[in-house]
Amino acid sequence: MNFTKFSILLMALVFALTMNLGAQTDVAEELMKEAHLNNFYAADDGLAEVNMTIVNSSGKERNREFAMLRIDNEEGGVQKYYTYFHKPYDVARLTFMVHKNPFETDQRWLYVPSVDLVKRISADDKGSSFVGSDFSYEDVSGRHWSDDTHKILEEKEYNGMQVYVIESVPKSEDGVFSKKITYIDKEHMLPIREEYYNGKGDLERVYSAEKIEVIEDIPTVTVRKMENVKKDQYTIVEFSSIDYNVGVTDDIFTERYLKNPPREYIK
Amino acid sequence: MKKALTEFSINHPWIVIGIVAVITVFFALQLPNIKIDTDPENMLEEDEPVRVFDRQVKEEFGISDFIAVGVVSQEGAFNEEILTNVYNIIEEIEDIDGVIADDIMAPSTVDDIKQTPDGILKVETLLEGEPESDSAARYVLGRIKGNPILRGKLGSDDGKAIAMFIPIESKDMSYRISNEIKAIIDKHSNGEEYYIAGLPIAQDSFGAEMFKQMAISAPMAGAIIFLLMLLFFRQIKVVIPPMIVAVVSVIWAMGLLIATGNTVHIMSSMIPIFLIPIAVLNSIHIISEFHDRYQKHKHKKTTIRNTISELFIPMLFTSLTTVVGFLSLATTPIPPVRVFGIFVAFGIFSAWILSLTLNPAFAVMISDKTLRNFGKREDEGGPLSRVLHLFRDITNKYYKLILAGAVVVIIFAVIGLNMIVVNDNPVKWFKKDHPIRIADRTMNKHLAGTYMNYLVIDGGEPDAIKNPELLKYIERLQQYLEANRIVGSTAGITDIVKKVRFELFNQDSAKYAIPDNQNEVAQDIFLYEISGGDPDDLFKLINTDYSKANIWVQMTEGDNRSVAKVVADAEEFMDANPPPAEIDANWAGLPYVNIVWQQKMVGGMRSALLGSFAVVFIMMVILFRSFILGAISMLPLTITIAAIYGAIGYLGKPYDMPIAVLSSLTLGLSIDFAIHFIKRSKYIHARTGNFSQTFPEMFEGLGRAITRNLLVISIGFVPMFFSNLVPYVTVGSFFFAIMMVSGAVTLLLLPSIFKIWHRRLMPDTQTENIQTEEKVAQS
Repeated sequence: MNFTKFSILLMALVFALTMNLGAQTDVAEELMKEAHLNNFYAADDGLAEVNMTIVNSSGKERNREFAMLRIDNEEGGVQKYYTYFHKPYDVARLTFMVHKNPFETDQRWLYVPSVDLVKRISADDKGSSFVGSDFSYEDVSGRHWSDDTHKILEEKEYNGMQVYVIESVPKSEDGVFSKKITYIDKEHMLPIREEYYNGKGDLERVYSAEKIEVIEDIPTVTVRKMENVKKDQYTIVEFSSIDYNVGVTDDIFTERYLKNPPREYIK
Repeated sequence: MKKALTEFSINHPWIVIGIVAVITVFFALQLPNIKIDTDPENMLEEDEPVRVFDRQVKEEFGISDFIAVGVVSQEGAFNEEILTNVYNIIEEIEDIDGVIADDIMAPSTVDDIKQTPDGILKVETLLEGEPESDSAARYVLGRIKGNPILRGKLGSDDGKAIAMFIPIESKDMSYRISNEIKAIIDKHSNGEEYYIAGLPIAQDSFGAEMFKQMAISAPMAGAIIFLLMLLFFRQIKVVIPPMIVAVVSVIWAMGLLIATGNTVHIMSSMIPIFLIPIAVLNSIHIISEFHDRYQKHKHKKTTIRNTISELFIPMLFTSLTTVVGFLSLATTPIPPVRVFGIFVAFGIFSAWILSLTLNPAFAVMISDKTLRNFGKREDEGGPLSRVLHLFRDITNKYYKLILAGAVVVIIFAVIGLNMIVVNDNPVKWFKKDHPIRIADRTMNKHLAGTYMNYLVIDGGEPDAIKNPELLKYIERLQQYLEANRIVGSTAGITDIVKKVRFELFNQDSAKYAIPDNQNEVAQDIFLYEISGGDPDDLFKLINTDYSKANIWVQMTEGDNRSVAKVVADAEEFMDANPPPAEIDANWAGLPYVNIVWQQKMVGGMRSALLGSFAVVFIMMVILFRSFILGAISMLPLTITIAAIYGAIGYLGKPYDMPIAVLSSLTLGLSIDFAIHFIKRSKYIHARTGNFSQTFPEMFEGLGRAITRNLLVISIGFVPMFFSNLVPYVTVGSFFFAIMMVSGAVTLLLLPSIFKIWHRRLMPDTQTENIQTEEKVAQS
């Protein structure tokens, strides 16, 4: 093989590889987007009863029960959550509302029934704990796919399911994680496992979809678990009485309804 | 038995040496398996209730022991430059192996609750990144002062000091980690002074420095003893066997300790330095006697036989009493002290056997030529004898005054004993100019303190702590504790509730209080969690089912006495103010564990001392076959202990760990002189049969043996005076004092007692005559 031939071959090889890589990145982002929309933007709105159990390293449990109402203003964009706490009993009737905008800071309000006060609370830190659980605010409402660059690592079988394994690295350093590995179930196109690595590159938290049910034709993760490997503790969230497309209107998600929950949705 | 052992050694020296060598090699082979334990917490049993509770509290509330790092600048520490350094130092400390990064308390890691200008409640990290200006740095100080949980803890009110608390996985890492922290500080500091303090670092550094110290002190003591003996006996071949006895008994004791799976703790690291001087004691008596007799007999074997024959009983009893003194430590409730006592006792027993076998074995092998001039120099004219003759003349003339003086000393000593203050503080195990002491002083002067105790209030059932009445009670208890001079700050769930409520009501200071309604309490706590507060921070102050509250009591002093006062204050408050609900209050934390350890130590040592006193007294009655002589033999040590401990009372020197341990040893050692003195005076008297001849002879060979011993041991401990660790200085000076005082008391008081009651104690059996007078002069 002479030098010219070799160079051409080499260039062709490099070109092919780069093309493939670029295509792979696009494919990975598409997969992440689809899984994200399925997981966090199912239907146009949704209602569920949520039971959250936080289990610490010595096995002690804390429990929270709340109703959650959601409206999507825009697929993959602005979204609003309304949360009404049943338990613990001493915080019953406390309500909590989030206006989520993937490209801006969220807005959060809280109604404290014991003093009959509505208070806005800060939403600067998406990585902070959601009501004391191992889930962060961002885990609950989802992280926009465009915040990270994605790459398909492999396709394989995992727990009897065919999955894509995708690696995501944040585009800007926001300190939430340094790397995330997502397993997307090919059948339902839902993330069934996420591994979060910290700044040192150590595995810190693992999310897993413990149960998937098809509700109103929509595949839904009804039991979600977040394990903090470092702290040896985890939180399990179970969704029940799930209802999609309940027809909730945007005006429910205003300060006025914080004090007076919409009784047609929340008992 | 005594004949058989010595005869065998004289006739088969090589067999004896061979057996000893084989045993020594066996024990020496154990030494590499040494396991070191420097955790002072192990002074208490693993299952000691206070330790079990301390562990439970640490686990339940996710608390770790920590290293306190501080920076002090007289021009103010809250400026851009220093705060930037502090920020970067913490960034690097987080990566140190063994540091629990999530729990570090520093401006760049702790959460603060605040209100944005547009009324948004925010829980956020106090210092998010490097401060951009001096005013940004001053703003951080303002927020520290405005948050009762952080105030004084992270920054002093005058802004001159910043503190960082670095939690570590295990106390025994603190020495290594503190060195890594020092290296990081050196990299970033622009000349501002940093300090590293805290109990774990003091305790772990002590462990590390202690072993270095032992590696210097023990060989040095050995060398000094060797030189002193050489000075006394002037024959190197005679002086080497006692050194071999000492080294071999140390190897046996340490070898057995390691072979039986015991760890070498702070106490047991001192075994060599205790054992070396005690091990040469018997040898010195033997050589001393051999030295004084050899020129008379001019025959090695005869001299050895006669020497051993006269010394066997006194040596047996002096060894046994020392063994009893150390074994009494085995009854204390402190495991490392027990191990120490048992293995020193074993070492002393080994040294006793070895001096009866190895010494004669080596002695017969020394050629007659070498010994030709041994002991020839007349000791009667030497400086030792001159001093002894002075003692003889004083006691002869002023014996009544000496007896009266002894009574006066006892009276004053008893007064001094009542002035003894029981106190200890591992930080003060270092000398005043040690970096750890300087850090301790500086940080505790400016900040809320480097000593942390935890008072856990257990309400017995879930949500008990949310009871507003109980919270108000805890708040008052905190205020009561804060009134104590040494309490720099307290922090509790009460502070979180008050702070959240204050911010919820737009910083209305009237709302800075515990609410009256339980749901409001619960919702305030919930509000903290939902606004982004780290749940881990919350659960350091309250447990997850809200049945227990943990009050952090931060103190500027770690002296056991001061800490005990804070504990007493809490009890006082709770006795005077019955709580609104049934609660259980218990303390945890290193300073509190130290108090419990000290109480055990003081109590344990008292009974060990009383126990060994009784046992030794019974042994003395048996030895002298006389109740009165037994009682008299106890006098020198009683006076010695009373005088030395009385002096400690007068000097205001706290009765701490080393001083407590030494009480039993004093007893075992200072009885030795009395045994030799009384037993051998009786031998002399049996020979002379006339007190007026017995009396001066007490100050000849016998007096010289005692004085040589006294000098060898006391000077052997002198290297410890120069240690930079206070307990070593204490042990060294204490031993020096014990030897000097008990030697002097023995040589003054006992002859005086014999003199005044000689008709009863040493009745004359024959009348004085010229012939015996000459015999005395010759010997």
